[in-house]
Amino acid sequence: MTAFLDGLLTALQPGNLAALLAGSLLGVFAGAMPGLSSTVGLALVLPVTFALDPTPALLMMVSIYMAAEYGGSITAIAIGVPGSSPALATTFDGYAMTRRGEAGRALGISLFSSMSGGILGTILLVLALGPLSRAAIAFGPAEYFGLGVFGLSIVANLVGRDPLKGIISALLGLLFFIVGLDVLTGAPRLTLGTNMLMDGLGLVPMLIGFFAIAEALKAAAGGRKATAPGGGITGALPRARELFGLWRTILRGSAIGGLIGAIPGAGATIASIVAWNEERRVSKDRERFGTGVPAGIAAPEAANNSCVGAAMIPLLALGIPGSASAAVLLGGLTVQGVAPGPLLMAERAELVYALYAGFLVAVLLMLAVGRLGIPLWTRVVRLRPSILMPLVVAISLVGVFALRGNAADAWVALFFGVVGFAMLRAGYPLAPAVLGLILGPMIETNYRRALTLSSGSHTIFLESPISLVLLALAVVSFAAPAVRNRIISGKRQAKEPQ
Amino acid sequence: MESQAPIASSLRPRTAALSRTGKPPSQPSLPRLLVAAFALLASAACSPRADDAAFPNRPIEIVSWATPGGPSDLLSRALADVAPAHFDGQRVNVMTRQGGAGAAGMQYMQGRAGDPHVLGVFTASGTVNMATGRIPFAPEDFTPILRIQIDPFLVAVRDDSPFRTLGDLFEAAHARPGEVSVSGFGAASAHFLGFVRLRAAAGDPDIRWIAYEGSADAVVAALGGHTDAAHTNYNIVREHLRAGTMRVLGTAMPVEALPDTPSYADQGYDLQPVHWRGVVGPPGLDAGTRADIRARLMAAIDDPGFREYMERAALEYATMEDAEAFGAWMTEEVTTSRDLLQRLGILDG
Repeated sequence: MTAFLDGLLTALQPGNLAALLAGSLLGVFAGAMPGLSSTVGLALVLPVTFALDPTPALLMMVSIYMAAEYGGSITAIAIGVPGSSPALATTFDGYAMTRRGEAGRALGISLFSSMSGGILGTILLVLALGPLSRAAIAFGPAEYFGLGVFGLSIVANLVGRDPLKGIISALLGLLFFIVGLDVLTGAPRLTLGTNMLMDGLGLVPMLIGFFAIAEALKAAAGGRKATAPGGGITGALPRARELFGLWRTILRGSAIGGLIGAIPGAGATIASIVAWNEERRVSKDRERFGTGVPAGIAAPEAANNSCVGAAMIPLLALGIPGSASAAVLLGGLTVQGVAPGPLLMAERAELVYALYAGFLVAVLLMLAVGRLGIPLWTRVVRLRPSILMPLVVAISLVGVFALRGNAADAWVALFFGVVGFAMLRAGYPLAPAVLGLILGPMIETNYRRALTLSSGSHTIFLESPISLVLLALAVVSFAAPAVRNRIISGKRQAKEPQ
Repeated sequence: MESQAPIASSLRPRTAALSRTGKPPSQPSLPRLLVAAFALLASAACSPRADDAAFPNRPIEIVSWATPGGPSDLLSRALADVAPAHFDGQRVNVMTRQGGAGAAGMQYMQGRAGDPHVLGVFTASGTVNMATGRIPFAPEDFTPILRIQIDPFLVAVRDDSPFRTLGDLFEAAHARPGEVSVSGFGAASAHFLGFVRLRAAAGDPDIRWIAYEGSADAVVAALGGHTDAAHTNYNIVREHLRAGTMRVLGTAMPVEALPDTPSYADQGYDLQPVHWRGVVGPPGLDAGTRADIRARLMAAIDDPGFREYMERAALEYATMEDAEAFGAWMTEEVTTSRDLLQRLGILDG
């Protein structure tokens, strides 16, 4: 406890506090800007941190990471474009709430849940560093395969009214992920003979294409509903009672984020989608999920911020980055002469405690920065679509280019924009395709790795208890909506819900 | 942005802490660096061509096509940190150009032929990617300037592994074909070829190579008991060696920090596969300019700040006697990698 208070005092020193605040501002910006993410924000400040002492450098980086996870939800809620991929699930209910005119309420719920998730994830990091880091390395190829299949089974709940179209959308996503170099053989697949497709069709260009460009095309084609953002948007914040009433949702979301976030490579995007889905599963009014339900915002936002603390578990305990952002953080620490690993706690306890305390201070600064920003964002939403959407597209394309300095990514985003527009026109949901692109690589490479290790025997997936449980969950999750519909339609002679 | 100015100026730079003399006068502030970064991104497409004024007459760009925060990217940034003093005070900016396994950044350098103000960090992965054709360039498309560092490969196991030596590992593989697995970065990668060479020296037993997206992932697989060993670099496993959670069976070359670990050669495998990193320029730099840049870089990597980076990252200096030798080394690496891949049946003959 004394060590923690010392850490808190360190984090509150003027220079360190300033580093935390700068990180929060930059983090919210990087998160909210479509295309940029916490990873890009961290990479941008990497050279700046070289000039700092290890403590402020580390604090600045953790506050960027934390704030960016909230920042991503701002654009997700305000304009329906996830500012970064972990905010994808937030678009489902967050943007729906905005279209009802309640942008302030949605942003408030997101901010409160992000803050709570951030704090709970930090507590998890402090209390469960050892056990969770051991659990994380238990994930081998068979377990990752199970996790990927479980994640993909969520598609069943994202498909909307026409399951066939949802499944076709998911299969399209799985087709898109195949483009690029095969990790296991190094052979190029579906690259059309061009080197620019070797790294595959990225997730960020897909998100920009589907959610910014396709939406803009739809608006231009006159497909946008009359309830589109306009004069009726209010910046009114949610009441405290509503926020605290979400505590169960926030606890569940944070727990899911904490567990999935601690597994290297799984990440906040998967965690937040799983959290949204689990919340929907346990909810009494699950039919209304996706139409602007508060719990549909709180669960994914709590999960993706809880992932930040959790992603530090493999990094601090094992020296293994659990996410792309943690990898940049590791690079920054290496340059500072700080080597995360099994001995870090023993040798640099003061730095680790300053980091713990820094997370908590960063969460509070995120709350302040986020709260001050809400009136601004609700004003942005009031812009006429004919002005807003072209701006969004322009900013998004700049963001896509800035991500890797590669103009080909902007073309890929435009390609996805056209594909997404066609899919929207024909009534195909977009989220299943995104899920396919995210989970396809995890499923395929780990399936093949596991079979290489087992000399081709599929029993490897059933011998591992973790993989067995995850695969069983996947079957339940995939079959549940169909079974439920069968029962309901049997009871009251197929009356369409809406 | 204005609100950030007082923040940035109150951050204590490390150099000040080291010298105990207070703030140096010209520390770059956060907003300035950010503005520079964005300006750089924006101006990337329309940079002016080199002119005839004495070199260097404008900021130097170091093109980075590697993963942000990874070892090659860190080398670019460490160089950018110390280089200005050795390039007549010109700013040195790292410019990210990712895509196509590095081809995007290399393509950019082709477009700047003859311009000494643009440099890139080239690695063993680059020559292997040239050998497989993933990168549509050859060493001759660049001006080799200076090889800087080597990062020897090694084979590491979890502390409770039954294997004590490389011999144990390969004997087990001979005894139980197909059941021993080694994880490492990439398929048909520099890491894979480094291991294949070692395996060939041990009589080519049937060991499964389990490819991962990164070296750290490959180490996790060994640490979690999913594979029998990891083939990686010292830096990645250093903390696990210090903590005793992993052991090294052998290193490609003697590593100073591991005095008790026998090298491949000590164990009867006469080869030294290493990962290396160096600096290349765009095509068409004349010999005089190349010598000039090389001399400046040699001074920069002798800078205390750079030495500190090398020491902290546990990397070894491995400069080559001249730029010609570096170029010849690159060309030879492409040829030997291509031959090996063809022999393995991965590339068509």
